[in-house]
Amino acid sequence: MSRTLVIQPVSRVEGHAKVTIQLDDAGNVCDTRVNVVELRGFEKFCIGRPVEEMPRITTRICGVCPWSHHLASGKAIDAVFGADPPPAGKKLRELCNSIAFMEEHILHFYFLAGADFVMGPDADPSVRNVIGIIGKMPEVARRVMGVRRTAATMLEIIAGKSIHPEAVVPGGFSKPLLPSERDQVRSMAGECLELAKFSIDFAKKNIFPQYLDTVNVLGVIETGFLGTVSENGALNLYDGKLRLMSKDGSFVEFAYDQYTDFISEHIEPWSYMKFPYAKRAGHFSMDLGRPSGIYRSNTLARINVCDHIETPLAQAELEEFRKLFGRPAQLTLLYHWARLIELLYNAENVFRLLDDPEITNVETRKTVEPRAARGVGCVEAPRGTLIHDYTTDADGIITNVNLIVGTTHNNAPINMSVRQAANTFIKNGKYDQGILNRVEMAIRAYDPCFSCATHAIDGTVPVKIDIYDHNGRLLDSIVN
Amino acid sequence: MNTDQDGFEPLIVALCCYWCSYTGADLAGTSRIQYPTNIRIVRVQCTGMIHPNLVIEALTGGADGVLVCGCHPGDCHYLDGNLRAKARAEAIEVMLQDFGLEAERFRLNWVSASEGARFAQVVSEMVEQVKKVGPSPYRVPV
Amino acid sequence: MAVRLAQEWLTICGGCEVTILDVGEPLLDILSKLEIVHMPVLMDHKLYGQTGENAQMEIPQADVGIISGGIRNEEHKHLAAEMRKKSKVLIAMGSCACYGGLPALANLSTVDDILEKVYHGSVSTESNGVPHEQIPALTDRVYAIHEVVPVDLKLPGCPPTPEVFVEAVTALLQNTPLILPGKSVCDDCPTIRERKTATALKRPLQPVEFTPGAPMDTVRCLMEQGFLCLGPATNSGCGGEGRTPRCIRAYMPCRGCFGPLADTANPMVDMMGALASVGVDTKQIPDRAATFNRFAGAQGRLRPVPTKGKMPS
Ligand code: SF4
Ligand code: SF4
Ligand code: SF4
Ligand code: FES
Repeated sequence: MSRTLVIQPVSRVEGHAKVTIQLDDAGNVCDTRVNVVELRGFEKFCIGRPVEEMPRITTRICGVCPWSHHLASGKAIDAVFGADPPPAGKKLRELCNSIAFMEEHILHFYFLAGADFVMGPDADPSVRNVIGIIGKMPEVARRVMGVRRTAATMLEIIAGKSIHPEAVVPGGFSKPLLPSERDQVRSMAGECLELAKFSIDFAKKNIFPQYLDTVNVLGVIETGFLGTVSENGALNLYDGKLRLMSKDGSFVEFAYDQYTDFISEHIEPWSYMKFPYAKRAGHFSMDLGRPSGIYRSNTLARINVCDHIETPLAQAELEEFRKLFGRPAQLTLLYHWARLIELLYNAENVFRLLDDPEITNVETRKTVEPRAARGVGCVEAPRGTLIHDYTTDADGIITNVNLIVGTTHNNAPINMSVRQAANTFIKNGKYDQGILNRVEMAIRAYDPCFSCATHAIDGTVPVKIDIYDHNGRLLDSIVN
Repeated sequence: MNTDQDGFEPLIVALCCYWCSYTGADLAGTSRIQYPTNIRIVRVQCTGMIHPNLVIEALTGGADGVLVCGCHPGDCHYLDGNLRAKARAEAIEVMLQDFGLEAERFRLNWVSASEGARFAQVVSEMVEQVKKVGPSPYRVPV
Repeated sequence: MAVRLAQEWLTICGGCEVTILDVGEPLLDILSKLEIVHMPVLMDHKLYGQTGENAQMEIPQADVGIISGGIRNEEHKHLAAEMRKKSKVLIAMGSCACYGGLPALANLSTVDDILEKVYHGSVSTESNGVPHEQIPALTDRVYAIHEVVPVDLKLPGCPPTPEVFVEAVTALLQNTPLILPGKSVCDDCPTIRERKTATALKRPLQPVEFTPGAPMDTVRCLMEQGFLCLGPATNSGCGGEGRTPRCIRAYMPCRGCFGPLADTANPMVDMMGALASVGVDTKQIPDRAATFNRFAGAQGRLRPVPTKGKMPS
């Protein structure tokens, strides 16, 4: 007897989603979909707002990565106003980006996804969470809590506010960093770097070896990758050019404002949902056997597309990672490993920026004038490449907004990994909460933010079966 | 627009200051000067105390128009209450747009204690202008 | 006995939950006194049973329930009702839950207009319909929680501070009342006021005047410098006890994220009235409704502008 399984809500991810799994008569998976059940409509209600308010409005798309929206928005409004921020302005922005990345990656590793590994995928759901981790490793938990608080304090010192900041302004940063504040922040940064080092060592010793079997099978798909690199090909999370890599490792590069030439947003005739895909693939397909145009974003993607990392510890980790998994690495659970390499990079990058004498320059912003223009801003958010695209009238009032967030790039891959995981683990109608949790683990690897992804686009990220006749006419669509 | 506007009898709230306008309105009454019955008079101490909240709440709460009456400039019992009212009236006019309300729905006039006839005339004009724009979009249909 | 806690998030960004984590190490002590029975962001408790086997949504009985986020769809209404039913004390956490928050800017438009823009009016979208399968229908507008179910305590802020969260939970654990200050942001703001408001307003396209490194009490009030600041009409508390409000620390004007001083107040009307009385030409203020009610659009404060004398239905 065929039946439908519903996992609701998907937990230990940001925002709302549910998974629907359709089983056939034999109890095997015939379809899956990840339903995202929200709509907020930012694209609509940002129209009419003065463009300089956008960095303060779009932060509320996501409270876990408000800095990413704040910065992408800041860069978009720079472009709208035609302003190039002074060096200190740019460096302060990048500094905040790196601190925010550390906060987010620590949060995801220890609070959201870590329990699947520390407590085990089959553990009792009532302890398979951060409380369980606290019970099992109280000292680590105390340290992690402390470091997250420290990182938030660092942001408060630099920018006044850590969640939903307002210091990024058109033409720069609203507040200079005093030398005394720099010293204070620098003294706190060591704690973060130590935790970053500890985390990757801990994971390499205690987690990845133990779960290698799972890593090799869970959510595995083969795709291309998208990420930002500097002019010289180094990993860059704040600024650079976009690099879109195919699964064979070849790539194209382009400037942010050319994104529409390289990324298409596919529309299935049966779906209202956008699926970004690589335009040069010619067509889009999420078919597990013959995917086309699919690329991934977020940590693993960035670690794959960059040639090297400019901080020594992270570079050493990158080399080791490449030796083990090649380039591009495809195994989905390696997102976690890549996340820890990035954590280390950001911890090192904080020191690099704080030691730059320009960071305390008092000239942090330029005055701007409204004009009619279009501006594209882009940063790497913890969850992937984030694009803000604004158009204004002569008074600098928003007339159009387009946003592509990190999680959206990963829509098709998440669906494919969920499908693959369900196919792998659910057989002959047999499943339990541990198996369904493995399906969720395929989602968690991507650290999706469904709040971000539902800034506007709603509904479904469907893997839905349509039946066409030989003329290509839609006869029926099966929605589980 | 409503087709049955001809039969429309607007409800208008008049906020009148104690020292001049309310007395003026009283005088209109005692002198038996005719004026439309669409008006509900609320006495306030001074127009300077009329916060824009009151006006906006009346209008978004379903009143078809709000009339504010105070002492002539120079005559305010509290010196400059009516001047403040005038400054606020400008803000109220701006906000009418934000609430999608026609400018005709709000009016500020000076009426002294001895101007019973003027009060009646102001009320008649107000009723006429509100009749032209029709019922408030915030009016709850009965 | 441990206090049982349930937490749900509705139309959220996640910032309120991050605020809870930002409590840092003291959170460990709090957690040891709590038994969390439902909290999707941290825990795997499922609404319809762990393998989706139940027909009815179920949240376990709790002593304290916390809801973040406002109400945007029918499912949120059910979740709010279930939380109310199962919680002895229900807390609305964050300005979204208390006043609609930033997502209530959507209340400036009708639902039809939003769907039209998102699914038909985007440059990159060739869509030919609006999603409607297996997803909850949108409510006609964004609601604050207390518009739908009674709430026992409101913790405003976007997000609230970790300190006030700790205070609230501690008060509940010790069964003592929590008293919020009831002052305005200006009351906590150290900037100098000369009682001479600039009559010409500036957009924040240029810097506020300040001397880098000089203390905050040498900076002239931003409003008096001509930058629209919502401090006078906003609840205090964002800076934490005795500290400079958060945006002011970054030399940025307040945008009202801690919500209006009184539950029934309309900050736009208040601010426009106050500005007009000191001689500001209020016509110059761009985008008044969305600026003054940026975080408080529920409770009818923001609504679509009626056209042709009719309220949009
Ligand atoms: S109140 Fe602010 S931080 Fe909390 S959910 Fe709403 S937008 Fe996010
Ligand atoms: S108006 Fe703004 S800058 Fe001035 S005192 Fe109030 S909060 Fe401070
Ligand atoms: S200053 Fe105003 S907008 Fe800024 S955090 Fe405080 S209440 Fe919120
Ligand atoms: S007393 Fe009449 S307007 Fe002030």
